[in-house]
Amino acid sequence: MAKFCLKDSDEYYLALSDQPKRFDADSPVTNVFFDDSNGQVFTVRSGGVTGVTVNGMEESKSTSFRMEDRGPIISIKFSPDLKILAIQRNHDNQNATVEFVNFNDLTPTNVEYSHTCKWKNAKILGFVWPRVNEIAFITDHGIELLQVLPEKKQLKSLKNTTFSCAWFSWCSQSNIVLLAGNNGVLLQPFSLNNSTITKLQKLELDMTKPVVERDVFILRLCEATWCAVFRHGHSATVSSPGPTEVWLMPITGPSGYHYTHVLKTGLVGRFAVNVVDDLIVVHHQSSQTSQLFDIMEDSKPENNIMIHIPVVPGVSMKPARVGEQLCPMYSDTWVVFQPDYIIDARLGCLWRVKLIPSGLAHSVPKDEIAKIVAVLLRRTDGKDTIYRIVHQLVTEAGTYLVQLSEVFDEIHSVYRKWADLEVARNTAGQAAELARPPHIFRVLISQSDMCGHVLQQHADDKYLVQVVTAYVASLCRQALVVQQAAGELAVRALVTRGAAGRLRAALRRGLLGDARPLACALLSLGHLDAGAAQLALDMLWRLRGHDDVVEVLLSRAEPVAAAGAARAAGAWPQLPPRKLLAAARASGALPAFVALYHALRARNERLRGSPHFLKAEQCDSYVEYYKQITAEQ
Amino acid sequence: MIDVKTKIYSFFIFNSSFGPREGEELQRILFYHPSQTSADTQKMQVGLCEAVVKFMSTFSSEPCEALQTQSKRYIFYQPEKGYWMVLVVRIPYTTKALSAIGESRGDVVDPSVMYDLLKSAYKMFRMFRGLFKDFPIEEIYSVCDQFFTPYISSRNLSNDISDVIQGINYLPLDKNSFFKVLCFIDLLEVNYPHFKCISFIYNEQLIWNGLATHDMLTLYQYLVQTLLPKQVAKEIQGGAVAAAQRHGRFIHPPEGIHNKEDLQKLVKVHVMREDDSETKQYYLVIYRTLSATICFTVDVTDELEFEMFRSLDAFIGPQLSSIASTISEQCSIHALQTAQLAASEHKFVYFNRLNLAFKTSPPPNKLHLSTTIKPEVLSIIASIHADKKNLGNYGEIIIKTPDEYWITGKASNDREFYVIIQEKNANLKEIADEVRRICEAQMKGIFFYPM
Repeated sequence: MAKFCLKDSDEYYLALSDQPKRFDADSPVTNVFFDDSNGQVFTVRSGGVTGVTVNGMEESKSTSFRMEDRGPIISIKFSPDLKILAIQRNHDNQNATVEFVNFNDLTPTNVEYSHTCKWKNAKILGFVWPRVNEIAFITDHGIELLQVLPEKKQLKSLKNTTFSCAWFSWCSQSNIVLLAGNNGVLLQPFSLNNSTITKLQKLELDMTKPVVERDVFILRLCEATWCAVFRHGHSATVSSPGPTEVWLMPITGPSGYHYTHVLKTGLVGRFAVNVVDDLIVVHHQSSQTSQLFDIMEDSKPENNIMIHIPVVPGVSMKPARVGEQLCPMYSDTWVVFQPDYIIDARLGCLWRVKLIPSGLAHSVPKDEIAKIVAVLLRRTDGKDTIYRIVHQLVTEAGTYLVQLSEVFDEIHSVYRKWADLEVARNTAGQAAELARPPHIFRVLISQSDMCGHVLQQHADDKYLVQVVTAYVASLCRQALVVQQAAGELAVRALVTRGAAGRLRAALRRGLLGDARPLACALLSLGHLDAGAAQLALDMLWRLRGHDDVVEVLLSRAEPVAAAGAARAAGAWPQLPPRKLLAAARASGALPAFVALYHALRARNERLRGSPHFLKAEQCDSYVEYYKQITAEQ
Repeated sequence: MIDVKTKIYSFFIFNSSFGPREGEELQRILFYHPSQTSADTQKMQVGLCEAVVKFMSTFSSEPCEALQTQSKRYIFYQPEKGYWMVLVVRIPYTTKALSAIGESRGDVVDPSVMYDLLKSAYKMFRMFRGLFKDFPIEEIYSVCDQFFTPYISSRNLSNDISDVIQGINYLPLDKNSFFKVLCFIDLLEVNYPHFKCISFIYNEQLIWNGLATHDMLTLYQYLVQTLLPKQVAKEIQGGAVAAAQRHGRFIHPPEGIHNKEDLQKLVKVHVMREDDSETKQYYLVIYRTLSATICFTVDVTDELEFEMFRSLDAFIGPQLSSIASTISEQCSIHALQTAQLAASEHKFVYFNRLNLAFKTSPPPNKLHLSTTIKPEVLSIIASIHADKKNLGNYGEIIIKTPDEYWITGKASNDREFYVIIQEKNANLKEIADEVRRICEAQMKGIFFYPM
């Protein structure tokens, strides 16, 4: 099938950040550590004696300092406010201890202290900073949550939980730690929020297939926290193991995310995972490709499982440069961290992965264009690419009319959901806020956006009439009211393209909705098109624009009808007599003039007690005229 | 109201310039119905009309319209200069006193209906054959004979309001179904640029029109009066065949398009498309699935290929049948809703002069209507309708018949609205109020100039 290719689009949909953060490469005398909570790379030269350099993606998080070498470092991390540095060292003969150094403006003070884990024989697997001045030791015996009091140089135990664990995984965005017990068969998440430890629903895995540490990640995706597990082909059929799947199991999150999502990679080998703009990126080393999965796409759950395939066929990331040179991609020395960090320790580079939205539309089968637009509607920077896609579809409407209308449907269905939610929020107030369904409105394209950014620029296109029809049809399918921008555009397109008949048919069937500007536009067409004028009057009357109706009727030399309309609208007592009589005289119908003259005199009589016209009403010439014509008779 | 077989005395077309000399009178007669009429009678009838028309021209620049004798009424119509179409009907006559004649007034054919009959006959001729003057003299006799003989004998004017006011029945449809139709047409025209959709009809109701209004009326009448009844009869007869043809077929040419030779049978029409400014010649192609009928024009200059039609058939068939079923669902929903609405106890007729939309209170079922609207009432409506000058663009007229029928005619903004009320003890004000009430209830959203 013919493929759609967005003009000037990138063939890659993922890229590394343009300028990698450089640091000293890993070497026998230099150790490199990465803290994904703060996004900082620590390069420790000679155990810190010749210097520790801290590099963050932002300059404000970078610093360097010196410290004593007191033994090999296992882990080194700043607290979230960068005021306390915690260091875990490898001491075979000592108790599980973590050292602390207070910092001031990213420079070390000489205030140093340490704390030992409460379990005597425990081994500290690692530590994490759930919040400022709170640290949690993850040990093979359980979790100990402590409060750090830097001024007093001591730590206070807040809470602890025992759990026998082999390794753990930490998500700094949601402060959830996942402990692997029972040899990787049982995964137990804990939440470290609110200065306490909360045990969450455990994740039961297949007993025959324990998972290993490198296959488990905790991800923050779509405002929920997930446990991602790589499920490699079944070991029973070693000869031909099936392709690897990624299982996403919800840990916590807004209601609505209770399905397990299964991502079908169709590949085997070494994988790594990132999250970019709520898309799951699965990097595959041997094929040098990265697949994208969107768990928000529409699909039907089966047995509480939703199955996903890549949004687009896997493509590699855009080749990155370090300095002038292309750097090797998907190299063995890459380490991938959550959510979107990639480190090449040998080159000494820290990148973030970013999405190139236009790359998604680089090569799309014709019938998947709408799907890609749906994916883009859920991306932060999707709007611009959507505009470009729609532009191109409109230009090539001869080929893509069906797809165009599907794309409109996607855009409008998102808008519809948003509008419904707004209405619910406004009417139900706070209650609705809490029960928010998991819809994320990254891109909202209103009617004026679509008209202003796209459709108006296609005034000379061959298929404008068809495009505008498809657009309004899509609005109708989503039960959206055609707003002024779209209405005006439709009228202009249909009139200038010689499709006035279609316009009339549309109006007769109420497709465009009533609006005063629309009625006025139709009135101005009235001298060419009697049908338009007829419909304009209907519309004005429905809109209760009674004064306008009276004016129109007067201008059309229908004074009796104008008087009738004024009477029906209750505007009869205010109707200026001069206007009415002038119209009656201009119409040339003597009986009409006489009748209206009498009616106005009767009105004067009732309003003022005298049939005569006021001086200010300037009706003298008509009084004369009346006398003249009645005398003739 | 007019029964062709018994009431029409004769129908003929003549052009005096074709046989200017004495003895050539028969050449002036392009067509004469009934054909078995003796040559002498034909000559006499035509000669009378020629004389009257000629005589009248001395008094008025307007062409003569009618002649009434004691036993016959002649209606003249000159569609093209020199070509006269004449319809002669018998009128009941009696030597009794005039008051007694009033009793049988219902049998008198209203002149406006006769005139409309002539006009639609000509318009049909013009659409399918072209102008009289474009035919060479040698051909015109046979052309007229081939066209008008079947036409006049198939005309079955009954006592029906739809013959008094010639309009188009539009199908009320919800927005989304209408858009479905419209987008389908767009898609079709984009994919098959040779084909231009000129009408979409469901059952006998129009959904989409792509012709200038007056050509649309003619085509609509052709479809509803001639082509579709035959098709429906065929479908009912061949039950199993019809089921096999579920995915639709070309019905014009009537045998369908099955091979290259069938393309020769395509009929040419002279029509003006909507938003066009001139009448052009096109091939007329009609396709039908379930109850949906769709008409196309193809430019006569376009090269026709059989492959094109086969691919079109494959494209339309499935889509049209799905659309037809959607519409049929909508129609049944609509029918339910209207059934639930309190039916108006009074009859009304609505007509829009601009798009020729025509609507009546009960479903336009001919059998049903003929028993409910009395010929006298119909005749009054016919004369209000014909007398546009009197009612004009804005006005209302209320007429009471001796047998307690109140007939109200309203005109406003190029629309007409008639209400028939049978009420013995009513006064004018009550009737006017009732009419206003019916108008507001039935014609929601339509602005009638208030009185």
